[in-house]
Amino acid sequence: MKRKMISAILCCSMAAGMLAGCGSSSAAPAASNAGSETSEASEASQAAPAASEATQDFSGEELSILVSQDWMNDCWDDVIAEFEDTYDVTVDLQTIPADQYDDTLQTKLTTDSCTDIFWIQSNPFAISSVIVDPEKYCIDMTGEAWESVIPEARLSSCTYNDKLYGLQLWTNSPEYVLVYNKTLFGELGLEAPKTYAELKAACEKISAQGITPWFIAGSEGWVQALAFFQIGGVYEEAQPGLYEALNNNTATFADNEKMLEVLNQFKELSDAGYFGADWIGATNANLDNDFADRKIAMAMANPGEISAIKEAGAEDEFGICLIPLGDNDTYPTNPAGPTMFGYNGSEHPELVKEFFRFCTTTESLQSILDKHTNWTNIAVNDENVEQHWLPQEEELISAIDTAKQQTPVLQTGTKYTNDSWGKFCEDMIAYCQGSMEANDVLKNMDSNRAESAKVAADENWK
Amino acid sequence: MNKKKVYPYWFLIIPLILYGVFFLLPSILGIFYSFTDWNARSMGEVSFVGLQNYIEIFTSDKNYLSGIGHTLMFTIVSNIVKLVPALFLAIMLQEGLKGKNFYRTILYLPSILPFVIIGITFKSVLNYDNGLLNGFLDMVHLGFLKQKWLSDLNVVWGSVIGVDAWRGIGYVMTIFVAGLGAIPKTYYEAAQIDGASFWQRLKSITLPMLTGSIMINLVFGITYGLKVFDIIYVLTNGGPGHATEVVTTYSYQLYADGAYGMSTAFNTVLLILTAIAGIFVVKMMSKKEVQQ
Repeated sequence: MKRKMISAILCCSMAAGMLAGCGSSSAAPAASNAGSETSEASEASQAAPAASEATQDFSGEELSILVSQDWMNDCWDDVIAEFEDTYDVTVDLQTIPADQYDDTLQTKLTTDSCTDIFWIQSNPFAISSVIVDPEKYCIDMTGEAWESVIPEARLSSCTYNDKLYGLQLWTNSPEYVLVYNKTLFGELGLEAPKTYAELKAACEKISAQGITPWFIAGSEGWVQALAFFQIGGVYEEAQPGLYEALNNNTATFADNEKMLEVLNQFKELSDAGYFGADWIGATNANLDNDFADRKIAMAMANPGEISAIKEAGAEDEFGICLIPLGDNDTYPTNPAGPTMFGYNGSEHPELVKEFFRFCTTTESLQSILDKHTNWTNIAVNDENVEQHWLPQEEELISAIDTAKQQTPVLQTGTKYTNDSWGKFCEDMIAYCQGSMEANDVLKNMDSNRAESAKVAADENWK
Repeated sequence: MNKKKVYPYWFLIIPLILYGVFFLLPSILGIFYSFTDWNARSMGEVSFVGLQNYIEIFTSDKNYLSGIGHTLMFTIVSNIVKLVPALFLAIMLQEGLKGKNFYRTILYLPSILPFVIIGITFKSVLNYDNGLLNGFLDMVHLGFLKQKWLSDLNVVWGSVIGVDAWRGIGYVMTIFVAGLGAIPKTYYEAAQIDGASFWQRLKSITLPMLTGSIMINLVFGITYGLKVFDIIYVLTNGGPGHATEVVTTYSYQLYADGAYGMSTAFNTVLLILTAIAGIFVVKMMSKKEVQQ
């Protein structure tokens, strides 16, 4: 009896499932028809017709996005919400901690289980080395109208073999410079440090006040390497032709005197406790408040951090200066940044393309910029977007000789360097804790680059 | 016995096929690939490179050997730290303690928590500046005991093993409790009449009679220790620097880097270590059982 009951229930559920399937397929055209009607209505009311049609086309779909912690923050919320409303879809934002992101992405790509959209820290060399096989993994966006929105200098980080794959929406500010408390510096009779000696002296004076001179959040897994890579121009100046030689595999990081000098200086500051009592275990979670409360005096950040500090209640004035390790006086030119790509294995390729289009409308770009607490501008070719450059940025840029602004930062100007960012951060910590030598940190970088080159089948490493 | 109720041998075919296809075959393929240069760019074209991957593991400047050393250390220490307290907790809860089922539940609960939750919680608890633990030490005027729990080279392993023990003790204890329940009470009563102390009873009755439970816990503990990944990944991700890297974290990183050949070589090393340890423990414990 029981068996019969179970069989009957199963049969009913199967029949119901089949009917449900038929129902949805027959309902789809009706929805499409309704869509065209809505579209016509939208046109009449001067709303975006394409979006209205798409609303019906994509209704009920889910768009998944894999992104590292700090690349798609709250400033995207409104754009995503608007996209969800417009197209009647759901966006599943999968935010991964920065120190785990690269591993997670690579695992998802190689196991063909990636999200509809994924991000990478792109530069002119990154697409082939990080994604490895863009034609296999990325949706070809060639011919999309938004290509013209991306500035020429940044296009090389979005294209591969003349095909457009990525969309890079990032800031053009002097990236990751030293933000410092100008008022505090003034009270202590200090100027913004221009050399390592000045930096060390300032740290000593600030530390005596019980304030962390130069806060570094080591546990984030990416911050400390900025101190080394953002001053790439100083290495090129010390050894002209270094970038080219590194890209041709005729030079190494190991034994580079200027790099060793910078690492030694970094460790000296770490040993003196100038980065904080436990910088290796620290996070950026309270950065704005700590600045506002005068717990810290300097940190590597974007100029927009000044607005965030002000919003946290700071009464002090803040300025920006170059990272003076290695007596650096070169500008951190960096036409690269986090970039999003459509995953070729996505079940919703058209929705992915629609998302990219949606993100590049003037309204979306303006929303991203306005909501971003750390950005003062967004690097796009759209005159209708209102930029908010800070006077501090304009002051810094105008004070630096044009010749000192030509060399890009190390991770953008040299191949495979950025791929080992996380590992370099780990090695820097190991070096500061005394379990590695400075030159071994550099040797590891050479070895990591060689491995990336091997995977990318680079002729120069054969 | 009704012979119709006994399952015929051919019932094993399906599980054996599943086991072979989804476990045995990938393992054998993994060993094969560990002798190749298979990577993200090879697109199916792999070349045989002999022992090159293994030579790299044992001679590289990257100190992969320390990862193997850390794995072995974790396996030994974490088992001691879990087994000994778990045994005493189990004995304590086996005695006539009031509300023992409540305590058993409380002790078992951490082992059902996902590693990610444990990682996030303990990262916060162990934070040097704002963490609960250091805050508590400050509050009770024991500030001198404050540590950089997850960033000091001398303390980090203690923290990882401590959190792992917090999670795992309840599980180990449950197996001991089951084993203790199977020991006849009359043995203890006879020993007590003879005037045997707690330690004498433990040595002469409890431990010999618990051999089965100890073996199960040891085999589980050793295999868990050798393939430990989650707890380290969520707490330190192998850091600070490379201080808590283990075989699996290196293997994971290499796989993520597209160096599949090297990654499978690491897994093969792990397989060999696990097999050696497993055989050793089972043989040792079977000998004891025979002697008894």
